[in-house]
Amino acid sequence: MTAQAAPVQDWPDRRDFSQPRPRGALWRAYLAMGRAHLRTVIAYRTSFLFGLLASTFGSFAMLYLWRAVLSHGHRANGFDWPHLRTYLLVTYFAGSLVSSYNDYRMAGRIQRGDIALDLVRPADFQRSRFAETMGVVCFEVVVGVIVVTLGALAFGGLTLPPSPASAALATVSLVLVVPLRFGLVYISGLATFWTQNYVGVQAARIALVTLFSGTMVPFAFLPGWLATTCTLLPFAGMAATPALVFSGAVQGARAVEAVAVQLAWAVGMWWGARLCWQAASRRLTVHGG
Amino acid sequence: MLWTARLYRRCLGVRLRAAMEEPGDFWLMVASALTTQVVGIVFLWAIFRAIPQINGWRFWDIVLIYSLVVVTEGLSVLVAQGAWQLAMTVNLGELDAVLVRPYPAVLQVLASAIGINGLGNLLLGCLLLGNAIARVDVHWSPGLILLAVGLLAGATLTKIGLNLATNCAAFWLKSPFSAFAFSMHTLGELARFPITIYGVGVRIVLSVFLPYAFMSFFPATTVLHRGAPVWAGLLTPVVGIYSVAVGTWLFRRGLSRYESSGH
Amino acid sequence: MQHSSKPLIVAKQLTKVFRRPDRRPGLTGAARHLFERRYAERVAVDRLDLVVEEGEALAYVGPNGAGKSTTIKMMTGILVPTSGEIRVNGIVPHRDRVENARRIGVVFGQRTQLWWDIPVRDSLELLRDMHGVEQCRYDRTLERLDAVLELAPLLPVTARRLSLGQRMRADLAAALLHEPPLVYLDEPTIGLDIEVKDRIRAFVKEIVAEGTTVVLTTHDLGDIEDICRRIVIVDDGRMAFDGALAQVKDAYARDRCMRLELAAPPASLEALSASLPAASVAPGDHDREVTVTFDRFQLSATQVLSTVMRYGELLDVHIDEPAIEHVVRLVYAGQLSAGQSHDGPVEAAA
Repeated sequence: MTAQAAPVQDWPDRRDFSQPRPRGALWRAYLAMGRAHLRTVIAYRTSFLFGLLASTFGSFAMLYLWRAVLSHGHRANGFDWPHLRTYLLVTYFAGSLVSSYNDYRMAGRIQRGDIALDLVRPADFQRSRFAETMGVVCFEVVVGVIVVTLGALAFGGLTLPPSPASAALATVSLVLVVPLRFGLVYISGLATFWTQNYVGVQAARIALVTLFSGTMVPFAFLPGWLATTCTLLPFAGMAATPALVFSGAVQGARAVEAVAVQLAWAVGMWWGARLCWQAASRRLTVHGG
Repeated sequence: MLWTARLYRRCLGVRLRAAMEEPGDFWLMVASALTTQVVGIVFLWAIFRAIPQINGWRFWDIVLIYSLVVVTEGLSVLVAQGAWQLAMTVNLGELDAVLVRPYPAVLQVLASAIGINGLGNLLLGCLLLGNAIARVDVHWSPGLILLAVGLLAGATLTKIGLNLATNCAAFWLKSPFSAFAFSMHTLGELARFPITIYGVGVRIVLSVFLPYAFMSFFPATTVLHRGAPVWAGLLTPVVGIYSVAVGTWLFRRGLSRYESSGH
Repeated sequence: MQHSSKPLIVAKQLTKVFRRPDRRPGLTGAARHLFERRYAERVAVDRLDLVVEEGEALAYVGPNGAGKSTTIKMMTGILVPTSGEIRVNGIVPHRDRVENARRIGVVFGQRTQLWWDIPVRDSLELLRDMHGVEQCRYDRTLERLDAVLELAPLLPVTARRLSLGQRMRADLAAALLHEPPLVYLDEPTIGLDIEVKDRIRAFVKEIVAEGTTVVLTTHDLGDIEDICRRIVIVDDGRMAFDGALAQVKDAYARDRCMRLELAAPPASLEALSASLPAASVAPGDHDREVTVTFDRFQLSATQVLSTVMRYGELLDVHIDEPAIEHVVRLVYAGQLSAGQSHDGPVEAAA
């Protein structure tokens, strides 16, 4: 055993907690959290991939249905089959990022009380969850690209963006999907503070977002008032905006405008989430003792 | 036989009471199911605003097929939701408690949960079904009505059986999540639409290997008298009983592989 | 051991109330509950006043549901108090959660701090970065923790694969690698075998000696006897007792119980009893054994021994020391409140 140490107040090099922590270390910590979460997903990859398969079947149904609708060169509301096909493949890809696994896991941690551990760590809760999400997004992007390629092959191809400008804008739009979806998934995960039953919340959210994000049907097919409302809501940026820009349905100034709305909502969701956290943390009940 | 049924109802009753204790969650589940189904109908309606028919199927024909999926799902989730808990139960070794009780294990498992979202599904499903029945081009003789009820029962059995069968993967996959069964369930969602829109491969899978098409499509085509040979729909009760039998058989095979977890 | 009298944790009228839905029995009751809801309030912590000074080793004890875990969670910033005030190092924990978290180490016995699917080493390094500990400092601390907790074999192992004892050692390391001046230990030895328990207790004693403040919540009274100087007993959300461990034992655990094994059954138990009026004498497990229970401030062990030896040849003696267990059991049974004193041997509750 070590010899009797000098009393604490006599230590010359006692840690100075009044100094803020070095930024570099904190960033390394967030990076490590992302990596750790990615490793967890890879460890549970079978379940994760089956979950992905589930959403893939859903998309297949859409593709088949729309192909039947737009068969023989028909056009509807400005869409022909090749363009709608691209639209659907891109919305599928966007929807596969920041998947339900993330909030399901967060809800589970809240229900079991493991969130107590997250709260005694000196790291911002929301930023930590975002770091974890980014880790998983890497995996999701790879898998998403593979599935979209297979889907394109199965259904006859993928039309590329009509111009380099469109391509660049589409890329920006796709990147913005991540913080947008994170905000939504995170806020919805916080619902666990109010209800024990997260499955119900998640199912309702998925249904509403599927509709209002234009994943199943482009806004052009909805009645005017509904379509206009949808373009103003945050959900449009989670699927419709990148899909419309990528497929060339929306170009030029209108495309830039749509992406700007996406960006505004991405920032808004982040700050909205922080407000929700304030309310949620007051409702915490951790069982035991 | 009667005792078995009554005890099953008691097990479900326990779950129902538990579900009613959290009214927030109760209504949330109902609302959540309603939302999900309504969104699907809005989607269909949006498409049909632009086009009059798909592959010869009109709006209310498709709604008929769609509503059958919703109703059978609602019923199955109300009486046999327990299958979805199987993965977690096996993973945690909690099947031990089930195995020492003097009641069939498979029935205990099925009755171990009740899905309140089934109420939402049933509500909307019946609404849609009622409307579709009124609007499709069918002459409703008493014989046909009787047949339809029988087909509905068969369709529900098909869903329950397939749910059970796919969830038995839990015995082989050793994961606490029922992800495999869920992916098969979404495959079944393809049966919301007439399977004639799908490729041949998908049609074969949905008719023969995972006969989800018997949940909705074939019963509907028999009643509508088009889209598929009438005898196909008449097979529905047979397929239903067969699905349940396969599910039960898989459950028994899985049970023999079961090793409870060490604690 | 001396500690400065600077207050570290200050709780004033700290209260936490949970709202629970009021459930009514029967199926009709349950159905009605769906449409109209009534709530019952449960006061988990009731106007608690507590001051913990720097360098103290405090045992925080109480029956299940007494509110001790809830109090700890308010101190660590996990729960928000319903009313009252709590400050740790001048910081309000739930408001400045991150700042507070930098200065504390927490071990939850039932849950782990470690990331489940990565090696322990990676978890510790992640925490190092989160706390911003310099590399050389970290290496030095880890070396010391390794010497005491034998961490080396655990470092490459994924947390999921650790046994309970290994996990507790790793969790202790995780809680201490940033050298926090305040450490909360919530059931740190639960489910552990005796060897690991001893090791952990020794280590905690060591850091207390160096001036770290320790708040220990436990049902294991051996932990308390070994580590703590002060004991706070809570029951039903309220403080039932707050005082030095030694004083508690002197005041309420005065009984000593001696079991004496004689060569032959004593001729007369009544005579023996009469010659020890200040003690209570009873037959033991077999007819040659006698148990003598006495107040250790009124009689000494030698006196009892010499008295009994007059009645026969002594073969063996066992002395059961007064345990804090006794006092706590009295509190749990509701037989004790602060300020009570007893004369004579205290009858042990059933």
